[in-house]
Amino acid sequence: MEETITLKEIAQIIKKRLGLIIVLTIGSAIISGIFTYFFITPIYRANSQFLVNQNQPNATVELNEIRTNVELINTYSVIIRSNRILDEVIDELQLTISPSALAEKISVTNENGSQVVTVSATDPDPKMAVDLANVTVEVFQDQIDELMNVDNVNILNPAVLPANPTPVSPNLTLNIAIAFVLGGMVGVGLAFLFEYLDTTVKTETDVEKIVGLPVIGVVAKVQETDLVHIQQHANRRQARERGVTYNG
Amino acid sequence: MAKHKRPVKQAARHLITKLNPRSPISEQFRTIRTNLQFTAVDDTLETMLVTSANPSEGKSLTIANLAIVFAQQEKKVLLVDADMRKPTVHYTFRIDNRRGLSSLLVGEYELNEAAIKSDVPNLDILPSGPIPPNPSELLGSNKMRRLIDEAKDQYDLVIFDTPPVLAVTDAQLLANFVDGSLLVIRSKQTDQESAIKAKELLEPAKAKLLGAVLNDVQTSKDQYYYYGE
Repeated sequence: MEETITLKEIAQIIKKRLGLIIVLTIGSAIISGIFTYFFITPIYRANSQFLVNQNQPNATVELNEIRTNVELINTYSVIIRSNRILDEVIDELQLTISPSALAEKISVTNENGSQVVTVSATDPDPKMAVDLANVTVEVFQDQIDELMNVDNVNILNPAVLPANPTPVSPNLTLNIAIAFVLGGMVGVGLAFLFEYLDTTVKTETDVEKIVGLPVIGVVAKVQETDLVHIQQHANRRQARERGVTYNG
Repeated sequence: MAKHKRPVKQAARHLITKLNPRSPISEQFRTIRTNLQFTAVDDTLETMLVTSANPSEGKSLTIANLAIVFAQQEKKVLLVDADMRKPTVHYTFRIDNRRGLSSLLVGEYELNEAAIKSDVPNLDILPSGPIPPNPSELLGSNKMRRLIDEAKDQYDLVIFDTPPVLAVTDAQLLANFVDGSLLVIRSKQTDQESAIKAKELLEPAKAKLLGAVLNDVQTSKDQYYYYGE
């Protein structure tokens, strides 16, 4: 059965289930807000930066060398997240997590092709995040000497614990916004689903087109206003009838 | 299907065409009356039945009001409750159901003994009578055929209230004896599939399937009060 749906019908379907859509939209936003606010542990991030630069005996900086340093950074970022470094960080901070779990918490980014590398550590505890970032960089600085026989890492900007740390995740506003949009979409989807599943005959056109019978007549729903009017008559009549029955 | 059962019996008692003949709904029943008269131009419509696909789709309400509007047209009308499984006509008109169609069919009474004058002028009512064990056999009998002929002689129009088509075969049987049948469809309740099925069941009968009455339609206020349409 070919079925086309017009814009007007779409508007009608949405209007009909507007309550459902609104409830779902607002409801999911509220649930998401509550969930985010009370149940998700906030995560804090601390950044520590270091500079990769060869200690030059002479003061001239060669372009080639800078390029070499930048390329070295790719190697460094792998080294930082290697077990050799991480094991030592775990030892030093007396952590009880595995190196791979720690690797999850640490990310290394290179600032725009420069020689500055940022090590970010995330943790539910802001202090721990700062420690992780700093210790990782320190351990790395020590180890790189042994590993690559170079001493070109200088700490630029150690992570510090801010007075009033703000979590990086979860983002309350974003989560609520996502839930709001998703709720709305699900609501509209459900409205159409219900409309599709409702296969009852509704209008004269349905009777003629789908059932294929001529419509002899249409009777409206008896409205409240009609009932009030009728009920008075009916009561009076009922009373009269009852009287006749009992007396006769 | 329906989320909550509507008080059907209560609604059936609202004989709106009698109590409030000037209401828009009464006007809608008069429109049905007119349309029925136009439908049967060639052969006169002397006997007809009203049925629906499923129970509680407004058969009794429709049939009672239809009988009243025909009676108001100075026609001698007999309303027969052929739903011997779940009779309701005697509730609607508040009459005695001790003798009725079933007693006529087993030969206990004559038609003019069992038919009861209602408080609507020109409208006589034949209630179902005591509930028999075999309604289908009774309705399909030759006795029933003779009864219909007899009723035709005495009345201008005989209307039968029947059980739902999809539930039992009664309406189909009776449709072979009458001039036309009318299917009541309740808006937002009757399923498309069951309406189609009901139509398919009634079509092979000798009676012409006159059409459908769409019941319980939700109309907007302004539409509703515009000359009752």
